[in-house]
Amino acid sequence: MPTHVASARATSPGRSYAVRTVAFMSAYVLVHVAAIAGLFDSILGKPAGWAVAALAALLVAGQIWATLRLMAQSDEYVRVIVAKCFILAAGATMALWTAWGFGETYAAAPHIPGWLFYPIFWGIYALVSPFVRTSN
Amino acid sequence: MKNRLRVLRTEAGWTQAELAERLGVSRQAINAVETEKHDPSLDLAFRISALFKRRVEDIFENPH
Repeated sequence: MPTHVASARATSPGRSYAVRTVAFMSAYVLVHVAAIAGLFDSILGKPAGWAVAALAALLVAGQIWATLRLMAQSDEYVRVIVAKCFILAAGATMALWTAWGFGETYAAAPHIPGWLFYPIFWGIYALVSPFVRTSN
Repeated sequence: MKNRLRVLRTEAGWTQAELAERLGVSRQAINAVETEKHDPSLDLAFRISALFKRRVEDIFENPH
């Protein structure tokens, strides 16, 4: 998660982003915990399973919205740094996912669930963030 | 872009955080401008110019 945020003022952009991230990420984790606990077992393989999918997607969209709000409320430097980190992480994740997908099709690689894209994206975001320091 | 922001800031006796507060930007933005990791927008350059009562060209070296 971005640590380079604007200095403190009434409800700083960084604080707002932290609150929104905790909310959306906690809810996202709860969905996984509920799944692991078997709460969704009764709807496995049924159309109602799409409700779980939609909920997870909404939480992902919410986190993207929170990131866009951070960019909108921050100064020009923070805005560019967050954008660069996001693009680098998205690009790296897409490249990895594409490679693995082709591997599944042509190299008998084991299947990875599609929903793993999201946590892997944020993991890569955390890895690239320390190295993105210039707006150029 | 080479600039004299750090010199002007220290002459004024301000920390990076204090200058950031006066300009309405983050301390990270001030540090990035001072270390030439970020070229300020025209708006920010003019705000810096107005704060220090110097021309933009006296603070930022024209690279062209």
